[in-house]
Amino acid sequence: MFPLMKAQFKKDIRSPWLVILLTIGSILFTFIFTDLHEQTETTVPIFSSEPNSREVEEKWEPLLNANQDYDFVITDELEAQTDVEDGKSEAAIRLSESDYQIIAASNTQAVQLVEDYVHSVFTKEAQLQAASGTGNVDTTREKVNGYLEEAPFQMQTESIEGGEVPEYNMQLQLLFGFTLFLAMFTIGFKVNAVTSDKVSGVWDRMILSPVSKTGMYAGHLFYSFMIGFMQIVIVLAIFNYVMDYDLGHNFGMILTVAAVFTLSMVSLAMLFTGFIKTPEQFNMIFPSVMPIVPVISGVYMPPGLISHPVLSFVADLFPLVHAIEALMDIAIFDAGWLEITMPLVLMLLIGVICMGVGVNLIERRTK
Amino acid sequence: MIETVKLSKIFKGKKAVDEIDLYIDEGESIGLLGPNGAGKSTTISMISTLLKPTSGDVKLNGKSTIKNPGEIRRILGVVPQEIALYEELTAYENLKFFGEIYHVKKNILEQRTQEVLEMVGLKKRQKELVKTFSGGMKRRVNIAAALLHQPKVLILDEPTVGIDPQSRNHILETVRKLNEEYGTTVLYTSHYMEEVEQLCKRVYIMDHGKVVAAGSKEELLSILSSEDMIQVTLSETSERVVEKVKAINNIRRVDVTDKSLRIISKKGSSILSDLVHAVESEAIHLTNFQMEKPSLEDVFLHITGRTLRD
Ligand SMILES: Nc1ncnc2c1ncn2[C@@H]1O[C@H](COP(=O)(O)OP(=O)(O)O)[C@@H](O)[C@H]1O
Ligand SMILES: [Mg+2]
Repeated sequence: MFPLMKAQFKKDIRSPWLVILLTIGSILFTFIFTDLHEQTETTVPIFSSEPNSREVEEKWEPLLNANQDYDFVITDELEAQTDVEDGKSEAAIRLSESDYQIIAASNTQAVQLVEDYVHSVFTKEAQLQAASGTGNVDTTREKVNGYLEEAPFQMQTESIEGGEVPEYNMQLQLLFGFTLFLAMFTIGFKVNAVTSDKVSGVWDRMILSPVSKTGMYAGHLFYSFMIGFMQIVIVLAIFNYVMDYDLGHNFGMILTVAAVFTLSMVSLAMLFTGFIKTPEQFNMIFPSVMPIVPVISGVYMPPGLISHPVLSFVADLFPLVHAIEALMDIAIFDAGWLEITMPLVLMLLIGVICMGVGVNLIERRTK
Repeated sequence: MIETVKLSKIFKGKKAVDEIDLYIDEGESIGLLGPNGAGKSTTISMISTLLKPTSGDVKLNGKSTIKNPGEIRRILGVVPQEIALYEELTAYENLKFFGEIYHVKKNILEQRTQEVLEMVGLKKRQKELVKTFSGGMKRRVNIAAALLHQPKVLILDEPTVGIDPQSRNHILETVRKLNEEYGTTVLYTSHYMEEVEQLCKRVYIMDHGKVVAAGSKEELLSILSSEDMIQVTLSETSERVVEKVKAINNIRRVDVTDKSLRIISKKGSSILSDLVHAVESEAIHLTNFQMEKPSLEDVFLHITGRTLRD
């Protein structure tokens, strides 16, 4: 078993590009798609038609931009109006000393949200103004903010289990999704070495040697596991420790899920191996089937969107959907071991069945 | 030592090997000669326990190996017909790997590796990747990989197919040395009769899954003792002259290649004057004339009516 693993390792050291590329790919994909998500910030042109327009604009601009969802930009009045007419912006806002006016082409929900927000800013400012009377508004603002931070009453939303209700984090799901998805390829290509050995005749040579069949399979499979797992660990560790993504409370649990996923994927690749004759066939079929898995598993979408029973049944046959579920539960909902037992067991079950059927198919083929 | 009893293999209704009986004694070098598709590789696969026979048996020292393949595997070194190596590794790394899986002791593995590299003449190039090697060099590594554990019996399946003469000579010399100097028992498969003639004391000739002739080289050649073989070269040939030659009394067979005729006639019959007459009647000159020693190729031809490379 160990000489076999050593030989595989020496082969890979000479051409490590596939694994390196897939590792970098995981990071890059997550980066690119995460970035796209952030670009949804809406830009809203603001302007004033008052004589002291400059002063008015500069007063409201920072107050409005205190929120991250919108980007309020001081714009020339004419330009703002054409932007709205052309549909470049949903709405523009005409500012005056203590009032505003929304300019929009139609009353969409997005316009409504902007309006609500702007309204709250103006109301708050009016209240502060009233409270400070003739005094300085900014001093009052600071006082109020200071007070709110240490308020005697704190409002908190709590979930049924007593924890905070966390926001579902699509970025995190994509991160896990891409990482595991690309590792699926690495694992598949490594397991494919079994077929290469069979076709080249190295397998027969090993059969004639004192190495046992179990040792031969174990060598290949354990090696594939190590490489696949290593790739996942590297990517997740980079996100967790280097790029400071919040992968939840327990990195060890995350790695455990990753290990079980890898195990289960190694088995799935063995099942594929049972159906094909040459490594080239595997290289054609495996990469064309695998990209479907994250799609039907709903990795690219918020949870609950795949409701087609057949699709979700098929997705359940692959380990990916269970791994993502467990990882998200750990990262977002602070799940404990008990809560992720089910996905872990399912992945192990897939692993055991695929391995059993796969090895049998391979052995029957050789007769 | 090793013996096959009515060994047969049927692939999808086709008899690839048909009731073969052969034996190999310790220290012998045995040739298995036959054209492509004769069933040589299938026979070897069954002897080396990689393939289960449809019927019949392979015995080692009288004991069947089918139920218990471990014992024969321990004494065998098998050089497969295809290059069974990791081409992405160097020659040295390949040999180290095969030595390790054969449980060659760590402290002597390095020395053994260098020995076999020396034997196949690749010591200087051991650090190069196998995939960069020529066909002949790959074949030499392929052989070396079967030698690390010092097998008592070496089985080689067409180890010289499609390689340069230099590599070929090297391989033949290596096998000869292993047999004569190290006492390794050799089973050598080939469709080149010269190699088998050169290396093997005893030969089995196979065709269509059957052993069609067997014995020492002399015994096999004596099959041809009733025939003479004559090679004549003509200034030109025509169908008519060939027909005329074939019609000559006591001539049994005529094969035409380019401008020469290969004639097999009854031993001691005087066909020469008839031959000259037939040729000159067509206004053709006889430019060369030669009696030839028969080879195993001729034996094969005699038995099957075909040449080995048909
Ligand atoms: N695995 C197989 N399945 C079906 N037919 C086979 C198989 N292996 C060999 N044969 C057939 O058996 C015959 C003998 O093949 P083989 O032993 O390889 O001949 P040789 O080694 O003498 O060239 C051939 O006709 C070949 O096509
Ligand atoms: Mg063959």
